[in-house]
Amino acid sequence: MKICEILTTSRIKVEITSTEKEKVIEELIDLFVDDPDITDIEEVKKSILSREKIMSTGVGKGFAIPHAKSDAVKGIVAAFGKSSHPIEYKALDGEPVNLIFVLVGQQNLVGAHIKLLSRISRMMNKDYFRESLLKAQSPDEVYSIFHEEEKKYFDLT
Amino acid sequence: MLSIDLLLLIGAALILISILLAKLSHNIGIPTMLLFIGVGILAGSEGLGGIYFDDAGLAQSIGIIALVFILFSGGLETNWSESKKVSLPSFFLASIGVLITAVIIGLFVMWLFDTSFLWGLLFGSIISSTDASAVFSILRTGNISLKGKIKPLLELESGSNDPMAVFLTIGTIELLLSPEKTVLSLISLFLLQIGLGGVIGFGGGRLMAYLVNKLNFFYEGIYPIFALSVALLIYSSTAVLGGSGFLAIYIAGVVLGNCQFVHKRSLIRFFDGLAVLSQITMFLTLGLLLFPSVLLDYIGLGFLLSGVLMFIARPLSVLITLIPFKFQIKEKIFASWVGLRGAVPIILATFPLIMGIENSHLIFNLVFFIVLTSALFQGWSINFIAKLLNLAAPLEKKRNLPIEFTSSVKDDTELIEIVVPYNSKVVGQQIVDLNFPEDSRIILVTRDERNIVPSGQTTLEEGDILSMLINIKNIDSIKQIFS
Repeated sequence: MKICEILTTSRIKVEITSTEKEKVIEELIDLFVDDPDITDIEEVKKSILSREKIMSTGVGKGFAIPHAKSDAVKGIVAAFGKSSHPIEYKALDGEPVNLIFVLVGQQNLVGAHIKLLSRISRMMNKDYFRESLLKAQSPDEVYSIFHEEEKKYFDLT
Repeated sequence: MLSIDLLLLIGAALILISILLAKLSHNIGIPTMLLFIGVGILAGSEGLGGIYFDDAGLAQSIGIIALVFILFSGGLETNWSESKKVSLPSFFLASIGVLITAVIIGLFVMWLFDTSFLWGLLFGSIISSTDASAVFSILRTGNISLKGKIKPLLELESGSNDPMAVFLTIGTIELLLSPEKTVLSLISLFLLQIGLGGVIGFGGGRLMAYLVNKLNFFYEGIYPIFALSVALLIYSSTAVLGGSGFLAIYIAGVVLGNCQFVHKRSLIRFFDGLAVLSQITMFLTLGLLLFPSVLLDYIGLGFLLSGVLMFIARPLSVLITLIPFKFQIKEKIFASWVGLRGAVPIILATFPLIMGIENSHLIFNLVFFIVLTSALFQGWSINFIAKLLNLAAPLEKKRNLPIEFTSSVKDDTELIEIVVPYNSKVVGQQIVDLNFPEDSRIILVTRDERNIVPSGQTTLEEGDILSMLINIKNIDSIKQIFS
């Protein structure tokens, strides 16, 4: 499974408006509102938030990757958002974040879920990648940055 | 004298035959110990093999080495959190219980053969302990699963009661040989044995866990060899100083087995295999040492004494010892029946042989007979008795690693994925050094989409995905580790 396959431009937000962690997560999950693969959007929010409660997914360098497994989802869905203002995310390093990738997967797709997490965490660890994402002006631009980067490491054919 | 090549050929063949027979007989449920002894007897001078072996001293040495490994391995696999609830009754059974058995048998033997009480007590002491390897192998090989706390009770008892039997045997032999010794001197001997055994065993186990973690050996295969030599050191240093080496090595095993350390699984495997080899070698040797035609002379007496042991001495000792403890009556009956005798009595019976106690051959042959009947009747019927008493529990199904996992195992345990923060202090550290809480584990590390099954020495990197089983109660200390 590839990021470019599950992330679409309608699930990308170049300027998150909320400032508070819970609101930011809700704002991003609301991007799924018309997604036919999600049977219960409230349930998805709940699972993401309860995972955050165990331990924050803010992993440093201004990046957070809220993720969860939920039976309210068919397959795996993704959303991405960024902001020009710092978001207090209770990250493990205490720093605010401005890049957020949401990943929600069906309960029994653990293997694919973990692989995607690994791919995203590897890509996001690249300084130039984060910088170009922050500079991007539109969902289309964000999408093509993801697409180009993913092509570098993985055979996308 | 046999050439070394021939010796190896015979030894290897006997061990192979024993292993194959054990596999074939698995479904019949015959105690493997009997099989191994049987192979030894068949290979002996009165069997097909015609090997003449009557060196009791050598058999005793082999037996002692074997017991060290069997007790250590048994200790390693003892689940202390399960056992500690029953540690007090086990301790009572292993001390007072053994004494009661020895005295009852001693009185009966005194009356039966019209001997001195001391000689009777020597006999009783020799067969007073239940056998760790027999009990472990029967309770653990998978044919049986027991309800409640009866299994840890019996395991702990059998692992820790040999020192008492050894002490009683050596003590009575000393009194027999040098009558000027007093019971008082024996008590100080006893305290020394137990005290030293306990202290060195506990300290040794702790030290071993510490060293295994700290010494970063260049080659993984070194770890079991390291542990092996430390184990032998614990036994021998305790014994040389006058303590109970058997107690020390069992306690060291329990302590080590319940610590966290690198390569734990491979170490436990190694000693498990070594214990199996020890059992086979020991019982083969004892089988060789036995001249079965002689046993025929003892059938009547043998059955009589076995009967007294199985139906009077053991049940009485269990019932009396467990009076202060809460056990159901059926559990006490079952515990009485799992009074399996094994290698220890036979090895102890070689002591009077070597030390020239009068009528020591009578002791040896009768003890051998009692052990055989105990293994045969009690060993074979344990499953049946457990079912009869409604103590058998359904065998737990072995499960695969819980990659798919709902938090139903324990209410507060969850399986979650954690991304190793890019600038976290755990980066570059080995898992073993992170000191995760006991009940939290990393079960899978995914790095650049490749899955790594972690060991204590796996080094974490930025952005690794950890699949972790965590206890929510400990979440704060885990957060602390990753911050």
